[in-house]
Amino acid sequence: MRTLDWLVLGGSLVFIVIYGLYKGRGSGTVSSYLLANKTMPWWAMGLSIMATQASAITFIGTTGQSYVDGMRFVQFYFGLPLAMVILSATAVPLFHRAGVYTAYEYLEGRFDLKTRTLTSIVFLIQRGLGVGLALYAPAVVLSVIFGWGDRWTVLIMGALVITYTVAGGIRAVTWTDVQQMAIMFLGIAAALAAAILLLPGDVSFLDALYLAGAAGKLNAVDLSFDWENRYNLWSGLIGGLFLQLSYFGCDQSQVQRYLTGKSIRHSRIGLLFNAVVKVPMQFVILLTGALVYVFFLFEAPPMLFHRAEAARVEREAPDQYRETEARYRQVVAERREAATRLLASRGDDARDQYRAAQERMAAARGEGIRLARQTAGGGEYNDTNYIFLTFVTRYLPAGVVGLIMAAIFAAAMSTISAELNSLATATVIDLYRRLWKPEAADGHYVSVSRLATAFWGIYAMGFAFFGRRLGSLIEAVNMVGSLFYGSVLGVFVLAFGVKRASGTGAFVGLLTGLAAVWWTSRNTGISFLWYNALGCLVVVAVGVAWGGGRRARIKKA
Amino acid sequence: MSEEPPPIFSAWGRLYAAVAGYLFLLILLFYLFTVTFSGRR
Repeated sequence: MRTLDWLVLGGSLVFIVIYGLYKGRGSGTVSSYLLANKTMPWWAMGLSIMATQASAITFIGTTGQSYVDGMRFVQFYFGLPLAMVILSATAVPLFHRAGVYTAYEYLEGRFDLKTRTLTSIVFLIQRGLGVGLALYAPAVVLSVIFGWGDRWTVLIMGALVITYTVAGGIRAVTWTDVQQMAIMFLGIAAALAAAILLLPGDVSFLDALYLAGAAGKLNAVDLSFDWENRYNLWSGLIGGLFLQLSYFGCDQSQVQRYLTGKSIRHSRIGLLFNAVVKVPMQFVILLTGALVYVFFLFEAPPMLFHRAEAARVEREAPDQYRETEARYRQVVAERREAATRLLASRGDDARDQYRAAQERMAAARGEGIRLARQTAGGGEYNDTNYIFLTFVTRYLPAGVVGLIMAAIFAAAMSTISAELNSLATATVIDLYRRLWKPEAADGHYVSVSRLATAFWGIYAMGFAFFGRRLGSLIEAVNMVGSLFYGSVLGVFVLAFGVKRASGTGAFVGLLTGLAAVWWTSRNTGISFLWYNALGCLVVVAVGVAWGGGRRARIKKA
Repeated sequence: MSEEPPPIFSAWGRLYAAVAGYLFLLILLFYLFTVTFSGRR
């Protein structure tokens, strides 16, 4: 990081905090603090919805995943546009007309208090885990760049986000999301442009695509079906649909975005905006990762992308490290030559040789990773999240590095602020006001909401300290979500679509669904994207079988 | 409560169908992208 980078990054962070404080003024009532008095236009909501979903993990993890595993992760988002359509037609009008603050509040009107409370608690547990991970991701960034301890970064990031989220509530969160999404779009564009412009002069963009494709990195669509294959068209369309329905329809961190809409029309358009923009955006991010792979065909990549870990391994096992790295360097050179020959000939033999060289290089890197794990006492080593950062910090020009870092921070802050805001809302509206103190003055609930926001912020910082024990962060977050999401979705499917479902049936169904997903995750190899469908189906089946209910009039709890 | 119409389209159902069609088109383009550059024989 050079001076210009610091100026760009620091200026962005200061601007976001000041802007958030400015836009959050006058949030003195519960309706204003938690729902912005339902005044938000569709475009602000749409950008806020996108910014909330796009965490720092999106930049750090997704690009690295593409480098290692290709672009197949884009299929994860195929269910998203369909989910936006279904939610626009069902959840949006129901939530708006019910006049609720939280999605779970709706369930009390439809079912009963215990179902509302259980789903809200499930959300608090699940989102509490997620917000800690979202805070940890930028800590990874600075630990790599500066050698700072993760904990300092967690504290600084947490303090900045807590400041404007506590002060301005959802108004501050939404309007800063708009700015943060703009910074993210700029960062994505800069990263893609850099990945193209930094290719060798005699390697065109189409050449780069050819090389990435020949190495299997442009596998954006896989038509084959396999329960244990994490990303293919079917798991993305069906499993992804259930996950996105759960996330956008039952997770308060997203529901609260579109509850702030001026009208049903504005909320619907906000969701559909996300439906149109999200998949191409993820495609571009993944393509950037694939182009980083091509860049490292011609510029020798490090054997271990985690610099501090590489230094530790070299210190602890110097002979083995040098020997392994020498082999790695040799196969990297062979792969470069094979890539050059392939570009010159485009023949089948050259392609086979290139692929063989790629496999030898992957094997040599695998030896380095095994060495890192051995010297760590058999511990975990996963440097997927460091690949893109290595590219950015070592090769990009001054100013651009700062912009991309600002985009990573913007992504982190937008996610964390929305999650803190929604955690506080569920805590105060579903638990404190409903169960503990239902008759207090409006100002009292605003004060408690501020305290709850601060509490969840401090909790998130505590949880973030354990982030290093997880592997590739993006998958970790999605897997945590998938353990809970589908079952909660099942409760809402019962509420929206099964007239005979009762509160007790939904409650028992939810517990059964959670248990079924937990058992499946521990005892089968089924990919996590299917957990959402499984949980939902179990809850609906139990709810329907239990029966005994009657459709209650939705009343504001 | 009367329903406000969507932008561009005359009914929400048509807008939803357009979004679904857009997704189908994206998947088709991504599939062609995969096949074109994967170098499969």
